Amino acid sequence: MASGLYSQHLNNRKLRYMRNAVLIAVLVIFALVSLFPILYMLTWSFGPAIEAASNSYSIFPRIWTMDSYKAFVNYSPHSFRWLFNSLVVAVATVLGNVVFASMAGYAFAKINFKGRQTLFFMVLIAMMIPYQVTQVPLYILIVREFQMTNTYAALILPGIATSYNIFLSKQFFTGIPTALLESAKIEGCGQLKTFRLIVLPLSKTILAVMAINTFLGSWNNFFWPFLVTSKDAMFTIQVGLKTFKFSNGTLLSPMMAGACISAVPMFILFFALQKYFLEGVTVGAVKG
Amino acid sequence: MKMKKVFALLLSVAMLASVTACGNDNNNTVSNTTDSSSAADESTEASSEETAEELPVVSEEEDTITIMVPPVTGTYTEKLAVWAKEFEDMYPHLHIEVIATSWDEHGSKLTTMALAGEAPDIAEVSYGAIGTYVEMGTAINIADYMEAGRLDDYDQNALDYMTLENTLYGLPLYITIQALGGNREMMEAVGADVAKIQTEGWTYEEFLDVIAAGTTNDIYGFVFGNSGVTTADFVSIFGVSAGISSSFTEDLKYAYTSENMLALLEAVETMTSSGYMPDYAVEAAQRLVMLETGEAMVVGKAMPLFESNVKKNNAGIADGTAADGSIEVEYVFLPVPTMEGATESVFGSVDGFIAMRNNNTTDEHLKNVCLFLDYICSGERAASVYTELYLTCVCESGRQIQSAFELDQSELNAAATARAISKVNAPPTGITAEMSAGAKTIMDEVIVPKFQALLAGETTAKDMYDIVCSAAYETFGQDNCASGWVK
Amino acid sequence: MRKKSNQYTKLPARRHKWLSSENLSGWGFILAAMIVFAFFTLYPVISAVFTSLQDYKPFGSAWVGFKNYTDAVKSTLFWKSIKNTLLYTAAVVPLSLLIAFVIAIMILPFEKKTQSVFKALYYLPGIASGVATAVVWLWLYDSSPSGIFNQLLGLFGVSSVNWLSSSNTAMFSLILMALLSSHGSNVIIYMAALHGIDNTYFEAAEMDGATFMHKVRYIVFPLCKPTTLFLLVTGIIGSFQVFMNAYMMTGGGPDNNTTMIGLLIFNNAFNYGKYGLACAQAIMLAIVIAALTMVQFKVMGEDVEY
Repeated sequence: MASGLYSQHLNNRKLRYMRNAVLIAVLVIFALVSLFPILYMLTWSFGPAIEAASNSYSIFPRIWTMDSYKAFVNYSPHSFRWLFNSLVVAVATVLGNVVFASMAGYAFAKINFKGRQTLFFMVLIAMMIPYQVTQVPLYILIVREFQMTNTYAALILPGIATSYNIFLSKQFFTGIPTALLESAKIEGCGQLKTFRLIVLPLSKTILAVMAINTFLGSWNNFFWPFLVTSKDAMFTIQVGLKTFKFSNGTLLSPMMAGACISAVPMFILFFALQKYFLEGVTVGAVKG
Repeated sequence: MKMKKVFALLLSVAMLASVTACGNDNNNTVSNTTDSSSAADESTEASSEETAEELPVVSEEEDTITIMVPPVTGTYTEKLAVWAKEFEDMYPHLHIEVIATSWDEHGSKLTTMALAGEAPDIAEVSYGAIGTYVEMGTAINIADYMEAGRLDDYDQNALDYMTLENTLYGLPLYITIQALGGNREMMEAVGADVAKIQTEGWTYEEFLDVIAAGTTNDIYGFVFGNSGVTTADFVSIFGVSAGISSSFTEDLKYAYTSENMLALLEAVETMTSSGYMPDYAVEAAQRLVMLETGEAMVVGKAMPLFESNVKKNNAGIADGTAADGSIEVEYVFLPVPTMEGATESVFGSVDGFIAMRNNNTTDEHLKNVCLFLDYICSGERAASVYTELYLTCVCESGRQIQSAFELDQSELNAAATARAISKVNAPPTGITAEMSAGAKTIMDEVIVPKFQALLAGETTAKDMYDIVCSAAYETFGQDNCASGWVK
Repeated sequence: MRKKSNQYTKLPARRHKWLSSENLSGWGFILAAMIVFAFFTLYPVISAVFTSLQDYKPFGSAWVGFKNYTDAVKSTLFWKSIKNTLLYTAAVVPLSLLIAFVIAIMILPFEKKTQSVFKALYYLPGIASGVATAVVWLWLYDSSPSGIFNQLLGLFGVSSVNWLSSSNTAMFSLILMALLSSHGSNVIIYMAALHGIDNTYFEAAEMDGATFMHKVRYIVFPLCKPTTLFLLVTGIIGSFQVFMNAYMMTGGGPDNNTTMIGLLIFNNAFNYGKYGLACAQAIMLAIVIAALTMVQFKVMGEDVEY
């Protein structure tokens, strides 16, 4: 733990409390400022389910009702199916990334294989091409060549091991002391065993970070699912939410209710992964 | 040894597959054929039985027609499902597949699909976007495939909107007329003769007088939704006051370089600097709210449809579902005022359906497509859309059915609406796709941004006019741009 | 019968070098990711490069060589959008990293439960979906006197500002919005890195009489370099491609002052159907980003094991 950073205050209780109080105050204020949009989303999800051409600018709706949530559920026979689809896609994407991207990242960081520099460079470069222009050939590939419209595969595969995650894990694994891996080698472990027994347990934090970021990215992804699904039943939640907007008005509260509902799985995941966030790399293993 | 072989094989398969996919793509893009062999798209039917193009006979082959629509009205998608069923009952060998999209992203999804060669057979578009698809080579001349005589059902005015370079690419669904709306009580309080305005129109000077009189400390005489992308609306809709009804004049010259444009810009400058209009950007939704709360006297853009919104709001005052601070408002639909020397016209925007080319296109298929296209744009189907949107039909069969419907609209508003429709000027039919694309680019990249700066008071009318002119000369050549005052 | 190779021994040039277990395991590890990469990332990129040399039409493209590139370079809007994007990136990325770093350090001294609470609080803003967030921010920035920010200003007696519609404040508004809503993930990543710093470093430094700022500067900062490099590189890549915010908030105005290059590419591809031109612009953008990235790696990557 890096609490050693603050150890100069360990002996002075009063100073420590003051310091903590100031820190908390600043953190809370800043957090509130950033949280304001979410607050609005939450309070307005309890508003009436009418077309909001009337945007009265108050924080709280004048009428508190669960109507919007009901409206969301009743809006389409597939409302819950959308959530389910998003869940399936997100979970699969997360699993794929955690396994494959971390393996790749580890290889790029610690295994000296031929072509390592070039391949990593290619991975990096691919991140830099704006997605707008890769959508069309990708669409052609999926829809015309593979004919996978309206399938889970089409939603999951393109994102199952992203350049971003490969890069992330590579950076992280670079920080693991090679001595650790050396000692494993001396004991006769092959790469796979080393990875499984030593590297993975050390990287719980970064894998948790990768998991939650990837889940978030996949969950909030709109344009690609929008492109490759044409049947109501296969929409993801983001695509479904967009259908609340019509040419002449927006059903504001139902949209907010839907957005709140769609944010719930994220919360659950976040808190489930909490214990992983707080473990660091116990580099202390080297000393022993 | 073995692993190496296996691995090398895997790698080369991966490479080969991606190269082949590349190659296929190039093959398809280089050869310009409407391939009758089915490289099937979303259609799951066995349309591979389709025969070659030589057969002109209407066969009973199974065929699937895909149609992509955003929610044109609140209930359109549901109704479309019903109509699709009715159509399938009439023609058992034809199947309809509906792709529902969302309002904002419909265009980008459609363009992606079109670029990939996988466009739906029928797609909803606004008339201004047709040029893009024609340029791409994905739009189809439906006159070749429509059943004989069916085109006569539609008003020529509306059909012209769907025409480029004298080729008809689709059928119109409705004409939305967009002009101004107002609070009757407030206007009469400052002495405006509302009935006369609605039935005979008004001049720009009269308009200025009215909004000047209507502006008090708490009330703006004139509010137009103009923030962000909606600025383009202001140019188009208020542009008719200067006599500019389309991007191109009758003789196919670019219209925004004429003196009329300068007059329009100067008028806007006057209105914003004088305080009759708010000096900040107004969000689209806000303008209606301001009318309902009595903070604005005349608002834009406004459509006949708003009458129903306002009535609902009035009703909501009693039980608290109305906007904060609402007052009882009687809504009147007003034409845009006309400047001296300009011919009065009303801005009409047409939304319709076009037929598109994809990998599944054959003559046979197109005939079926046009059959369905015609079905949803005419008769009862069209009539139900009009009723929901408070518009009158653009096709005769629809008109007959609509006359049986009761519209909750005041008489004067109905008269004003009918008058407005008669004054809609379709864009000239000789415009080429290239001209249309050029005009769209200039509108999006020059006119709208500069207009926003003008509204914020950061540039002058003359400066903006000069910039627009130089951009237009560069795109079209000076000879093809209008100059002087155009009637 | 595997060769026991130690990655520290220098392998002399041998015929079977590429068969070594190093290579095999290396390739094996990256295999799955690379297959996916080849199909779903590499192929579209290569295709985009080809398309940038064409006047692309779905049923019959024509090869036009570098015409798309010259067209792009000739347009003043192109250069303006690059300038806007650079401005936006230069303002948002370093500042947002700094904010995240400072917040992470501030959260550090508290016990685990408190840390979790704060981490959740900061991660939350990033969870809301784009549409809902845009609606809220539009309301905050509304230019009428009843817009929230204007009301705040009113408390101090300052007159309302035309936030999103005035050339002076539009870009600033977007930057502010980005700074207030995108740091959550960075905070989490920095916290992971901070937790990885062993206390022994600090103890040793204390014995030498180091103050808090010394510790931060000489221990924390260098040890977080790989993380900072990663966040910087991905932040810049992401920021260069951003346009959704601008699109939903201002549509690129006023006077094209918030038109980002990403928006331009989007419009060319999906609104004007000039797909070949969009690809050319995208490739040029990628080249710029690549150059910047290499600079970053050179500057910050020396200690990082490659």
